[in-house]
Amino acid sequence: MSQLVRTRITSREEPAPGFCLIEFYAPSLARAAQPGQFVHIRCGEGSDPLLRRPISIHAVNRRDGLVRILFQVVGRGTALLARSGEGMIDVMGPLGRGFSRGQACRNCNNSSGNAPAGTGNTGDIIVVGGGIGVAPLHFLLQEIAGSGESGRTTVLLGARSAGQLLIREAVEKMGFVVHVATDDGTAGHHGPVTGLLANALRRHPGFVYACGPAPMLKTVCALLAEAGVPGEVSVEERMACGVGACLSCACRVRDAGGRETYRRACVDGPVFPAGEVVW
Amino acid sequence: MNLAVNLGGIKMKNPVATASGTFGFGLEYQPYIDLQRLGAIIVKGTTPSPRAGNPPPRIAETPSGMLNAIGLQNPGVDRVVEEILPRLAGLGTPVIVNIAGDTVEDYALVARKLDGAPGVVGLEVNISCPNVKKGGIQFGSDPRSAAEVTRAVKAATGLPVIVKLSPNVTDIVAMAEAVAEAGADALSMINTLLGMAIDVDRRRPVLGNVTGGLSGPAVRPVAVRAVWQVYRAVSLPILGMGGIMTARDALEFILAGATAVAVGTANFVNPRATVEVVEGIEQYMRENGFTDINELTGLAQRNVAGC
Ligand SMILES: Cc1cc2nc3c(=O)[nH]c(=O)nc-3n(C[C@H](O)[C@H](O)[C@H](O)COP(=O)(O)OP(=O)(O)OC[C@H]3O[C@@H](n4cnc5c(N)ncnc54)[C@H](O)[C@@H]3O)c2cc1C
Ligand SMILES: Cc1cc2nc3c(=O)[nH]c(=O)nc-3n(C[C@H](O)[C@H](O)[C@H](O)COP(=O)(O)O)c2cc1C
Ligand code: FES
Repeated sequence: MSQLVRTRITSREEPAPGFCLIEFYAPSLARAAQPGQFVHIRCGEGSDPLLRRPISIHAVNRRDGLVRILFQVVGRGTALLARSGEGMIDVMGPLGRGFSRGQACRNCNNSSGNAPAGTGNTGDIIVVGGGIGVAPLHFLLQEIAGSGESGRTTVLLGARSAGQLLIREAVEKMGFVVHVATDDGTAGHHGPVTGLLANALRRHPGFVYACGPAPMLKTVCALLAEAGVPGEVSVEERMACGVGACLSCACRVRDAGGRETYRRACVDGPVFPAGEVVW
Repeated sequence: MNLAVNLGGIKMKNPVATASGTFGFGLEYQPYIDLQRLGAIIVKGTTPSPRAGNPPPRIAETPSGMLNAIGLQNPGVDRVVEEILPRLAGLGTPVIVNIAGDTVEDYALVARKLDGAPGVVGLEVNISCPNVKKGGIQFGSDPRSAAEVTRAVKAATGLPVIVKLSPNVTDIVAMAEAVAEAGADALSMINTLLGMAIDVDRRRPVLGNVTGGLSGPAVRPVAVRAVWQVYRAVSLPILGMGGIMTARDALEFILAGATAVAVGTANFVNPRATVEVVEGIEQYMRENGFTDINELTGLAQRNVAGC
């Protein structure tokens, strides 16, 4: 169950200029957290900036009760979080519905019948992240590695340039095969990471997990629909409460009957089946 | 020490309620607080049929406040009565349902369907929503229409009726007098202030709906003033709200003339805000030698010369 904790920051780093990695002590949060879930963080004591900021859970260390978040400094709230000299952090979490690992495994298993027929899917997993969207995927990959599935998982990472491929090294160390793409061509494929995904989909993977900026996810969803491969995407919407109470975080989806409605990204998401999101 | 208040026939064990639209249908905050500590839960605006709401982005943060344009997204009164209210009925906390519509008949219809619903102790009539094209605000800015809605709702229900006033008017006292005359049992104020924000980099409005309602600490002085003015002119009990973050903020409203208060935007910042306001009021009373919360209502009025 989600909780409100005011706790000690155990470390704060700058993995690349403009990015910040914070680790804090929250044993029960670490225990409860699932990949794709987020925490809702207060940026300061006062009323300006007022609202909490949603940030994905980047890593957990359940043994030592530690949680990590990785974020990009983009505005006032994240700037305050990155430089606050204070050693305390006020977080709510874990919140939201994360990546459905069970679902993915069922889909990866050809005998389950969950994967669309005729795709000849290989049961492989593709994890694709763009920009700061890699933050929650790191936690997902920790869990995938932990369940011994790194051998059949391919990781595709995209960034503006080589210096911003934030989780590349960590993911390679976990034993994953990683392919990278950069907008400026300073590492790997020169172009969007969705170019790598289009190639990888030709090998008929069983399931795809994606997180990144909206235009990237839109392309991911289109590619998956075309290839008939199931997957999940983690979306970003503006949030106030983070707990399903205010209806701020509406994400347009297609329901089971094919009708378009809004779902709350904070409790029904932020992870949605790729085929449901209306872009 | 007595914290219990009577808001136009609605008995509350303490003067702290949740503001409509900020507390879902009540259960979302259960992991963070004991809902039984609340004086009342006021649930999201309910309309005759389901509403999808406005396109995103639906909120924008502003200095010490936020704009929202949710667009009264709700599952419609039938589902509220059948599915949602039964879940709240067991809580032991009184539930007030906020109602809205496009026409006078809409309001009456929703009121009728809620009459006798389990756990519901009163209705809050939203004649002041700035985020829907028809209805809402139009009733909230014209005293005659506001009175008409009030009469129709009163005729449709046996429950106490609180009418929620908009600050987006030239003369809030005239509105209060009109709905009092039409039979309202209590008044609540304020709903959000109409506002907007523009994204300078994208050179377009931030909100999908273009305009939205401003709430949070930024609006508190406007809200306290509204309560102050209406308390002097109208004898109905007032539910005060607008930017209450702490017990001291709540006490401003009570001292200005509010019988009870509602906590809205603060829940987003501090999910324990409601309970902390209750505790803080108790502490203030203890420290200042008050034994009954009702002694504090309007006390600042009596401390002003010539009042
Ligand atoms: C579920 C979820 C998980 C996220 N995980 C991460 C993460 O792991 N790392 C990371 O760097 N960023 C993440 N984001 C985005 C992050 O929330 C925003 O970058 C951050 O809120 C910006 O705050 P600011 O004050 O710096 O920017 P400002 O632009 O000043 O913020 C103004 C307002 O807009 C909101 N806002 C601005 N950008 C976004 C955005 N992209 N998404 C949602 N709200 C926004 C802010 O919360 C605030 O209310 C996540 C967003 C969501 C919804
Ligand atoms: C996200 C949001 C949704 C709201 N929805 C409603 C609503 O459905 N009906 C209503 O009468 N008021 C609604 N309000 C207004 C609040 O109930 C309250 O009047 C206002 O926000 C001022 O109080 P605050 O500053 O404490 O939030 C909403 C406010 C917010 C922030
Ligand atoms: S942020 Fe309030 S419902 Fe999602």
